[in-house]
Amino acid sequence: MSARENILSRVRDAVRAEAPRPPSPSEAPVWPPMGDAETRFREEFVALRGEIVESLPEFLAGFGKIATDDSDLVAAACGRVGMTVPVREAELGVTSCVCLVAQTGSVVVACRRSEERALSVLPPVHLVVARRSQIVLDLEAALGVVRRQYGGGLPSLVSVISGPSRTADIEKVLVLGAHGPRRLAVHFVNE
Amino acid sequence: MNANAQRFRRACEAKAFDRNHRAIVAKNTATYHAAVARGLARFADWETARRRAAAVKWEVMNHLDHYLEEFERNVRATGGHVHWAETAEEATQIVLSLARQHGVRKAVKSKSMVTEEIHLNPALEAAGITVLETDLGEYICQLRGEPPYHIVTPVMHLNRQQIAETFHEKFGTPLDATAEELAGIARERLRAEFLAADMGITGANFAVADPGMIVLCTNEGNARLTTALPRLHVAVVGIEKLLPRLEDLALFWPLLATRGTGQFLTVYNTLVGGSEPLHVILLDNGRTQLLADVEQRDALHCIRCGACLNACPVYKTVGGHSYGTTYQGPIGSMITPHLRGWPDWSHLPYASSLCGHCADVCPVRIPIHHHLLHNRRNAVRQRLDPPLQRWMFRVWLWGVQSARRYAIGGRLARWAMRLGLAQPLARAWTRYRDLPDPPREAFRDWWRKHERA
Repeated sequence: MSARENILSRVRDAVRAEAPRPPSPSEAPVWPPMGDAETRFREEFVALRGEIVESLPEFLAGFGKIATDDSDLVAAACGRVGMTVPVREAELGVTSCVCLVAQTGSVVVACRRSEERALSVLPPVHLVVARRSQIVLDLEAALGVVRRQYGGGLPSLVSVISGPSRTADIEKVLVLGAHGPRRLAVHFVNE
Repeated sequence: MNANAQRFRRACEAKAFDRNHRAIVAKNTATYHAAVARGLARFADWETARRRAAAVKWEVMNHLDHYLEEFERNVRATGGHVHWAETAEEATQIVLSLARQHGVRKAVKSKSMVTEEIHLNPALEAAGITVLETDLGEYICQLRGEPPYHIVTPVMHLNRQQIAETFHEKFGTPLDATAEELAGIARERLRAEFLAADMGITGANFAVADPGMIVLCTNEGNARLTTALPRLHVAVVGIEKLLPRLEDLALFWPLLATRGTGQFLTVYNTLVGGSEPLHVILLDNGRTQLLADVEQRDALHCIRCGACLNACPVYKTVGGHSYGTTYQGPIGSMITPHLRGWPDWSHLPYASSLCGHCADVCPVRIPIHHHLLHNRRNAVRQRLDPPLQRWMFRVWLWGVQSARRYAIGGRLARWAMRLGLAQPLARAWTRYRDLPDPPREAFRDWWRKHERA
């Protein structure tokens, strides 16, 4: 018999007897009520050391090599830069996102190809271009958007990013930019 | 006492009196506890949250065959590969044969306790494959040739100076480097390794059955790079890591982060599916034994947040390395005898004051201290307790079963203590502390005198 069959048959034997059920949880809400989604997103995002970019040309002017994803939103917003370099050399990675989460100040990115996987994590700065309408209230709603948007064909990687990369492994001292970007920025396009 | 238990006792004795160790761990855990208090304030109802999580985990564990098959089916549907390993050896063999098939010479790893459990690094190195840990804490452990001290905070036992010394020895960097500089050095050195690696190895914080994806939670972004840059991704996943649905993460992510570090979410909560080369190795390695124990099955609900370690007065005193296990602290003492065998590990359930703080902080409500007591009972049933202890408990049991024998025993004990005869018998205690003075009279005598008043 294969390892698979052995493990599954041991599991089946084991769960034939049910473990005592834990007490059932109350219906009480787990999270406190939230106010306006955009206000909350801005507060949470900035608290996580995220930067909100108001003027995109000014921000982009600070970087030489910029790599972008191939979304229409990013192309339209960054069109005038017109410059794409290999992600390994980029000083700035620009991506669109699936949605933004007010509750946690997170951006949710998704990618199908492996180069895209690196775009939001390899360059030292990551900029997300988004529409205000992409802000959802909480994590549950965000995961709902992921499921609805992709249905059965989920992208190979979905990442909920909450602030720039960080570590506190040394004496619990916070250091930004451990392996991923030192800076994370969001720019909302005018609709 | 077996060799393991003796080694444990010696290690504990040495660590318990190491003031430097105690100061470092106290500082780390104080920062942690302050952060967790802030994290808990973000929940409207923490108790409901953990009850919901416990209910979800109960559902998974009691229908685990169903969820494992669903996970396998869904990962395969997106082009991923699922392998099954009954033992640590089988799992390492699968990783090695994948490495051989793909001509792997260099691998990068994202922090994973399960690969510590199966001793993957030595096996890969023996096969001529370079392996690099990329989590900063794990990287420091690897440089020092030490196992992780803590399942979440691998170098909790080191201060900045010690880490700067290690970097100085290895790379000639300044001895007065700050935490930021040290992290920067690691970033630069590891960046090159990420780009050169052929294989990325991870564990999984969770495995979602619908859709079939594994979930990686990190702050540094190293798991992201591990899955983005090398052409092959291998994930070793314990079979207990399953969650039914994607949406369950809306609860489990905050629970893990809040109790893990006090953050509301770790920075990168990432789902990885099969369309890029992904090999998932589902590992048993003793877990089905624990599953078969109905009374203790819920120990498999553990999401490895490390909160019970930080809460445990024993862990904080004896330190993570003393246990000699992959999983330390209360949860480690609970599961290690099941995973690695009772004869060698039945001493661990005694490394607890049974204060219950571990259960209080557990985000999935595992009654860990009850299970430690169950473990003690199970060890006694298997006659694994030391013979002297067994004999003493028999005498004690005989003594307390009659009021007369109890009174005589008490009188004898007070008399022996007063004459200093008891002290040699209690040497394990009196080496570091004084025995309390014996009471002048027994409570029952006192009661008889004062009853009428």
